[in-house]
Amino acid sequence: MLSRVVLSAAATAAPSLKNAAFLGPGVLQATRTFHTGQPHLVPVPPLPEYGGKVRYGLIPEEFFQFLYPKTGPYVLGTGLILYALSKEIYVISAETFTALSVLGVMVYGIKKYGPFVADFADKLNEQKLAQLEEAKQASIQHIQNAIDTEKSQQALVQKRHYLFDVQRNNIAMALEVTYRERLYRVYKEVKNRLDYHISVQNMMRRKEQEHMINWVEKHVVQSISTQQEKETIAKCIADLKLLAKKAQAQPVM
Amino acid sequence: MNENLFASFIAPTILGLPAAVLIILFPPLLIPTSKYLINNRLITTQQWLIKLTSKQMMTMHNTKGRTWSLMLVSLIIFIATTNLLGLLPYSFTPTTQLSMNLAMAIPLWAGAVIMGFRSKIKNALAHFLPQGTPTPLIPMLVIIETISLLIQPMALAVRLTANITAGHLLMHLIGNATLAMSTINLPSTLIIFTILILLTILEIAVALIQAYVFTLLVSLYLHDNT
Repeated sequence: MLSRVVLSAAATAAPSLKNAAFLGPGVLQATRTFHTGQPHLVPVPPLPEYGGKVRYGLIPEEFFQFLYPKTGPYVLGTGLILYALSKEIYVISAETFTALSVLGVMVYGIKKYGPFVADFADKLNEQKLAQLEEAKQASIQHIQNAIDTEKSQQALVQKRHYLFDVQRNNIAMALEVTYRERLYRVYKEVKNRLDYHISVQNMMRRKEQEHMINWVEKHVVQSISTQQEKETIAKCIADLKLLAKKAQAQPVM
Repeated sequence: MNENLFASFIAPTILGLPAAVLIILFPPLLIPTSKYLINNRLITTQQWLIKLTSKQMMTMHNTKGRTWSLMLVSLIIFIATTNLLGLLPYSFTPTTQLSMNLAMAIPLWAGAVIMGFRSKIKNALAHFLPQGTPTPLIPMLVIIETISLLIQPMALAVRLTANITAGHLLMHLIGNATLAMSTINLPSTLIIFTILILLTILEIAVALIQAYVFTLLVSLYLHDNT
C-alpha cells in the first residue's frame, strides 16, 4: 500500500509519470513472490497427545526439577514473596483484593467446570472423527457389497448350464407335443375320408336293399289275387277257432 | 487516593512510547489458529464458540448483510477478550478509553447508514417517521428521529466506555474499602470481600454482555439498512 502512495507522489511530482500510477498495484503484485518456502511434510507430523505437565496451572514441572538439586522451590517462592512484601516492592493496595477476588473466581470456575469443558471438547473432536470414520466405513461397505454381488454373479454363471438344459428339455417337449398333435390330426383327417367312403358304400347298399324289398313286396302284393286272399282269411279263422277250443279245454283239466 | 483511583485508566507508556498498541494487539494471541482437523481442547472450544456466535448473529441478515459477518464476529471476539483480560489485576483495558470506542463505533455506524442511504434511499428515509403518528406531530417527530439516528454512534461508544469504566472503578473502590476495613474490623472485611466477589462475577457477565450488545446493535443497524 505504501508503494501506491509513493507512486502517486511521484505522479504529482512528474506529470509524465502519472500514467505509471495505474501500474502501481500490478507491479507490486508481480514482484511479490509466492511458494518460495519448502512444502509442508506430508503426512503432517502428529501432535503430542498431552501438553507439558504444569503445577498450579502456571509453573512447568521442569522448573521444579531444575531447582530440586539446588534449593527447594517452595522455600524459594515463599522467600521471594515475603521479601517483596516486607520491602514494599509489592504494595498491598486495593488492587490486591481485586486480584484475590478475580483469581479466586477464576480458580473456582476452572476447578468446577474444567472437566466438563474438557469432555465437551473431546466429544466435539470425537464427533468429527466419527463422521469421517462413518464415511470410510460406508465406502468400504459399499465396495464389499459390490464384491459380494460380483462373486454371486460369477457363481451364477457357473450354474447357467442347468438353465440351458431345462430350456432345451422344454423345447424338445414342445416339439414332441407339436409333432404328436399334427400326427393325430393327420390320422383324423384320413379316417374322415375313409369313413366317408364307407358310409357312402353303406348307404348305397341300404338303398339297393330297400329298393329290392320294395320291388319284391310290390310284386308279391300284386300277385296275390282276390280269391286267394278270401280263402286265406277263412282258413285263418277256422284255425283260430280250433285253437280257442283247445285253449278252453286245457284249463278245465 | 484520587490519583491512584484513576491511575489504571491512563494509557500506559513505556519510556514515552505508547504500549497501548501492544496491549490492543495482544488478545488475538490467545485465539490460536490451526491447520489440523482435530485440535487440542482450547482450539476446539474456541472454534465451537465462534461458530455458535457467528451462526446466531448472522441468521437474521440477507446476503448483503452477511458480507459483514467477518467484521461483526471479529468485533465481538475483540471486545469480549479485551474486557475479560481487563479484569486481571494491574491490566489496562483499551475499551475504557472513549477514543477507542468512538473509533470503533463511528465507522461501523456510518458505514451501515451510508450503505442504507446509497441503496435503498426510500427505506432509509422512512425510518425517520414511525407508522401511525398523528399528522400535527410529524415535523417534531422527524426532528426527534433524526436526532435519535445521529446519536446512535455516540450512544454505542459511550455505553461501552461507561459500563466498563464504572465496573472497574467500583471494583477499585470496594477493594479500597476492604483494605481500609481490614485494619479496623475484620468481620465487616469479610462481608465487603463477599460483595467484591459478587461484583467480580457481575463484571465478568458485564464484560461479555457489553460485547454482545455492541455487536448486536451494529448488526441491527446493518439489518435496517440492507
